[in-house]
This record gives sequence, C-alpha cells and structure tokens, in this order.
Amino acid sequence: MSNNLVIFGGDSHPKLVAQICAQLDVQPSKVELGKFSNGETSIAVKSSVREKDVYVIQSGCGHVNDTFMQLLILISACKSASASRVTAVIPYFCYSRQPDIPYTAKGAPIISQRKSSGSASASTPAATPTAGGKTVTTTQRPGADSPFKSLDSAIRSTIQSPTPVRPPPTTVGSSRIPMIPEGGKLNRSGGQQTPQPPSSTSAEAEELFNAQNAGYKLWVVQAGTLIANLLTAAGADHVITMDLHDRQFPGFFDVPVDNLYCKPLVQNYIHHCIPGYRDAVVVSPDAGGAKRATAVADALELSFAMIHKERRSQLLKGPPDATLTSGADIPSKPLLQHNPPPAGAPALHRSGSSSSVSSASSSKFVQTTMIVGDVRGKTCILVDDLVDTSYTITRAAVLLKDQGATAVYAIATHGVFSGDALERIKRSPIDKIVVSNTIPQERTLAVLGKHRVDILDVSRVFGEAIRRIHNGESISMLFEYGW
Amino acid sequence: MANNSIKLLAPDVHRGLAELVSKRLGVPLTDCKIIRDPTGEVSFSIGESVRDQDIFIITQIGSGVVNDRVLELLIMINASKTASARRITAIIPNFPYARQDRKDKSRAPITAKLMADMLTTAGCDHVITMDLHASQIQGFFDVPVDNLYAEPSVVRYIKENVKYDEAIIISPDAGGAKRAAGLADRLDLNFALIHKERARANEVSRMVLVGDVTGKICIIVDDMADTCGTLAKAAEILLENRAQSVIAIVTHGVLSGNAINNINNSKLDRVVCTNTVPFEDKMKLCPKLDVIDISGVLAESIRRLHNGESISYLFKHYPL
Repeated sequence: MSNNLVIFGGDSHPKLVAQICAQLDVQPSKVELGKFSNGETSIAVKSSVREKDVYVIQSGCGHVNDTFMQLLILISACKSASASRVTAVIPYFCYSRQPDIPYTAKGAPIISQRKSSGSASASTPAATPTAGGKTVTTTQRPGADSPFKSLDSAIRSTIQSPTPVRPPPTTVGSSRIPMIPEGGKLNRSGGQQTPQPPSSTSAEAEELFNAQNAGYKLWVVQAGTLIANLLTAAGADHVITMDLHDRQFPGFFDVPVDNLYCKPLVQNYIHHCIPGYRDAVVVSPDAGGAKRATAVADALELSFAMIHKERRSQLLKGPPDATLTSGADIPSKPLLQHNPPPAGAPALHRSGSSSSVSSASSSKFVQTTMIVGDVRGKTCILVDDLVDTSYTITRAAVLLKDQGATAVYAIATHGVFSGDALERIKRSPIDKIVVSNTIPQERTLAVLGKHRVDILDVSRVFGEAIRRIHNGESISMLFEYGW
Repeated sequence: MANNSIKLLAPDVHRGLAELVSKRLGVPLTDCKIIRDPTGEVSFSIGESVRDQDIFIITQIGSGVVNDRVLELLIMINASKTASARRITAIIPNFPYARQDRKDKSRAPITAKLMADMLTTAGCDHVITMDLHASQIQGFFDVPVDNLYAEPSVVRYIKENVKYDEAIIISPDAGGAKRAAGLADRLDLNFALIHKERARANEVSRMVLVGDVTGKICIIVDDMADTCGTLAKAAEILLENRAQSVIAIVTHGVLSGNAINNINNSKLDRVVCTNTVPFEDKMKLCPKLDVIDISGVLAESIRRLHNGESISYLFKHYPL
C-alpha cells in the first residue's frame, strides 16, 4: 500500500477501524480524542497529513451528536493541516432517517414526549394518537398557553374520559374493516350516549390546536441536507457509507457519495448459513422496504412475501353525519375474516391477516396488518435496512409464526437497537437475528447470546472500497458482488 | 415590511435567559419542540408560521453536553431557514469552542472556524454573541457578528455592590490585561496583573503578581471561568500580597469539573458570573456565586437589530 494513505478512527467504533486497517494492512494513524473539562471535544492529530489521502472512519452510533462533532472536527483538522483529500467513512450514517413522529390523519405531526413505559410487549405498536378535531367544540384559542406542555398525557386523559367514538359501520364483512381497540380505556357503559365534551380543557385546546393546524402549521425539520452541508463545510471531499435509508440521500451532498451495499453479504449469508434456503421466503416487514427485499429475493431466486400495515383513521370512515356514540358495541375480537386460501392458489394472495390495534392511547387509529404471500411451513427471512426500536420486525415475526412459518430469520444492515429493543427481540419468536458490524454489537451478543445472533463483517467491503478509491479504481463491482 | 415581526425561539432546555429576554421585549417565545431520539438524534418542530419573520434563536451553551446544544442550534436554524424565515439571528452569548481559535500546535483543529462555517452553512444570517474569547473570531464568519460586551453590566454591578473606591481591578493573565484595563479606566480604578505560566490546559503552574494590592478589594476580571483553578490560585496570591478581600467577576461561568469545590474551598469572597451560561443549579451548591443579568443587553440588541438601529451604544452603556 502506498505510504500516501492515512486512516484515522473516531472513538465510536474502534473495533471496526482496526478491522478495516487490518484489511488494508496499514496501521491507523495516531490521533488523541478527548474532551475539555467544559464538554467541548478536543482533538490532536499526531502524525503528518500534508498532501496525504486521509480517511476518517466514524460510525454514527453511541452518543450521536458527540461522535458527529468529533468527525467534523477531525475532518476540519486534517483539512486545515493541508491534507490533499479527506474522505469521511461513515458505516452507519446518523440523521439519515426522518424521525418517527406520529402524524395526524391530515399529515401534521403530533408532537409528544417519547414514552418510556408501556413498551414491554413485543407487539405493542408505537402509539399513534390523533386529533379528534370534529368532536371538540371549544372556544379556547388554538395555540394559546403553550399547547405542547404535556401533550401526551393530555391526549391520554382525553381518551380516558368518555370520548365520543364512532361506532363501527354496520356492514362488517369485508376483510378490511378496522377494529376499535379493546380494553378498559373506552366507555363501555352501553347504549347510545350523547357526546360529552372531554373533561380536560387543556386537552381540548391541544386537540384543537393539532386539528386546526393539521398539515398546515407544524413542521418537523429534515436534517438530511443540513448534515450533508455540515460535512462539506468541515471539508469532506468524499463520503463513503453503507445502505442509506433514503436512496435520495446522496443527492443532498455537493461531494461524491459512495453508498456501499450490504446486499451481497446478505445473499452470501442466506446462501451459506440458512439451511434449506431454496424453499425460504424473503419477507419485507413493511411496504417501504419491499424493493430492498425483492432485490435479495430476485438475486437468490426465492419467493417473496410482504407485510402490509395499514393505519386508518376512524374519523375518515363511516357516514359523514352519523351521530357520535361512545364505543359501547365495539367487538373486542378481530373483525377480519380469515379466508383460508384455496388449494393451489397462486403464490401471491392474501394468505392471512391480523389486526392489531394501537395501544390505548390511539383509539382513533386502527391498524390492520396482513401478509401478502404464502409463508405456511416455510423458513422466513425478514430483510430490512435498519432495526431501531424493533417494533416492526418483532411484530412481523409474531405474524409470520401465526401464519405457520417454521423459522424466522431477521437480517438487517444496521442494528441500532435503541431503548429496550434487544429485550423485545429476546422475547419475540425471531429465531436468529443477523446484523452487520457497522455499529458495535457487543451488547446484542451479550443480551441475545451467540446462538441467536450472527454478525456480518463489513470491514472487507469498506477496506476494499478505501483501497479502490485511494487507487482511483472503480468500486462498482463492490455493489454487485461484495467482497 | 408588513407582517415582519420578531419571533423568539429557544430550545427546551435552559430557557431561563430566553424567558427573561422575552419578558423584556414583550414578545412571547414561539412554541417549538425538540424531539430527541434515544440515540441522541435531534429533530425540531416549530408550532407556528415563521414565513417572512425575523427569527432570533436564543441558546445557552453550558458545560457538559456542548455538542448536543450545538447540533440543536444548527437544526433549529436550518428548520427556520427551510420554513422561509426572512432573517435568522443566532444569539449565542457563550460561543462554543471559542478557545479553539488558532493552530496552537501542529494539526490542531481550528474548531471556532468550523463552528462559524457550520452556522453559516445551516443558514444563519446574523450572530450575536458576548465577550468572545478572541474578538478576531468575528472574522471567521461570512455573516455579520455583533460581539456585545458585558462590561457595562459589570460596571453597574461593581458600582452597586462593591465599595469600589477601595477596589482594584486584577487581570488573572496577560491575555485579559486589555479587558481588565478597560474596566479599570471606566471605573477610574487602579489595575494589577497576575502573570501565569500555563503548563497544560486547565492546569496552572506558577503565578507572579505585578502591581500593589495592599489593603484593597481585589476584583479579578476574566471572560471565562472553567474549573476555577486559576481564580482560586489567584485569590491566594492576592491575599498573600496583603489584599483586603478578593472577588471574581467573569462573563461566562462555565464552572465545569470540580469548579464548585474549587470555589467553596478557595479564599474568594464571591464569584460573579453573567447568565450567559445556565448555572442556576450550581447556585444552590455554592453560596459564593452571584449573577449579573445580561438579558437587558440582549433584548435591547434584538430590538435595535430588528429596527435597523445602531448597536454600538450598547458597547458602552447599560440599557435602561
């Protein structure tokens, strides 16, 4: 390797840095990373970088803002020390996703505190409260008196008070009638009730605020462009990353972005490590990832299934002028007819569905989950790019097992596993979870045990990409075949 | 210029200063909400329209999670920019990374320059800060920077709270001599200097007093108090040189590390900081701390900036 190459590692993932350097047969250059006593990041680059080709490896994990600032300062230090080119190698790109904020039916985000409790069950979906704009009549000015204060608890209290809820349409029968949540959160006293105004006025104001501002007056920032510009401002000349959540993300940059793929490694894993993979089904846990999963399925000539999640607002259903009643007559058991597939049916049909209803705080939203495709008696391979809260894949695994899948593998490139995601996976019917080491996975191994976790090593892909970019060779073959 | 009014934004932590400014201006804080991911990623939402408005984002950056505050600020600026604000002014009284302003060693990062680049990249049109560690940092920016001075507020504090005919102004190091001398001139007081040889950052090695402090109330003036090791050491030296008592007035009371212990165990009578840095929680732990409120200066500068008036008046005078 030419002595022109200099590799620095941030402190987010030293093991991967060491592995990539081992692939390249170079030593990582010395850099002192630390913090001043007031919390500012301090960096001292200990070897010369003048006219060198510098690669800075920092994954977007750990404490994201600290690692990101460290990356920026390190890039800036190299650039101002006359490095000829600085490449940021970011195996997991932070801030590449839109935040997971519940939205109202009209598209406005509901801003609420992230709940720390109540997430114990493997199948508890994210809470999705919505604005009950139609039913609230109040003269309080919207937005008055800081409507964001304790919004979440306010919404919950509204729901626990006798909120008028539309009864299910009388013609239950078609398979997609949503379900009203069961449980004691609704007024079950029976009979037609005249709608009572919610008791809490602050909740009224907040519901009204959200309703009247729906889709119009609330913004949630999209950090993507900003993060891209910050990297460029710091002096990055090139960015290498892997499996960006958004395929459009490289477009935010003014510098070239090489988005490597984990797909060849995933295919290789399926090929070699999943017994009887030829009969397995590749399953996408949501519609957004269908393209990613079909690519894997096509390459291995496997069949494909998809889990489709529908979230419908109760308010949009039913005749527009129906009297609002309390949720007295709501069936507490599912609503969806199970139509057993006729023998010899084509591979793509609705083979099963189940409805899960969002937890108590989201009475007006109904969630229907269904599998498109046949999974009975087969090994299922869930393919996704990222596992964060793990709600999606654990729910998918439950559904797949319910539908008769024999084994469930979950393969994801980035295992973020925030919160109690790992405990949730531990309790879930997922037989094996496969993630790459773009993010340190020591905790995953510790919690789930070696037999339930396999780690894909991406250091060879990154090492080869760095070697090729350094030598000015094409890296497109890495997209197809991996390394 | 119809419908162009001041909008004050502040992150959800350390809103104290923003609330004071808001009260003085009679402009309520705009509803906004920061959403934090468990991994630390930050997202931000503004609760009302800011199209064509004059945005002022007030942030207090203290010790500890500096990088979180910085990213929050950048994201807030960018959110306002993409929401079509007319002008975005970042009010950062305690400018982060201000001490990383030069290449003091080979390949050391000039992080202050990086901060300037990042703020402009995010979409900041104007920066208001206070007592920059080096006023040359203003040159790092491509946008106008108003470096306000805490000096008028400090002068007022000394006049009201210290028997200042017996006082002497002390600069704890040669770098701060100009600041201390300026204050001494304003108050018509004498001036002394402590010369210090710094071995490493946040560590003090040897100190020499230049000037006579016998029987005087010594007022140590500095722009930043971090671990307060320097201040404690300086107080000892001043008392060894027969000073009557020692108080310290610093603009940015970062008070990190074991600063509180250092102050409590030191011979300092009082440590006075402005509220550019949030330290309300530390006031309970340390009875020697006192506060100078600079929200008036910020509020007046916001008003003047919004109306296109001169700000230089505030460099010498305390607004009423």
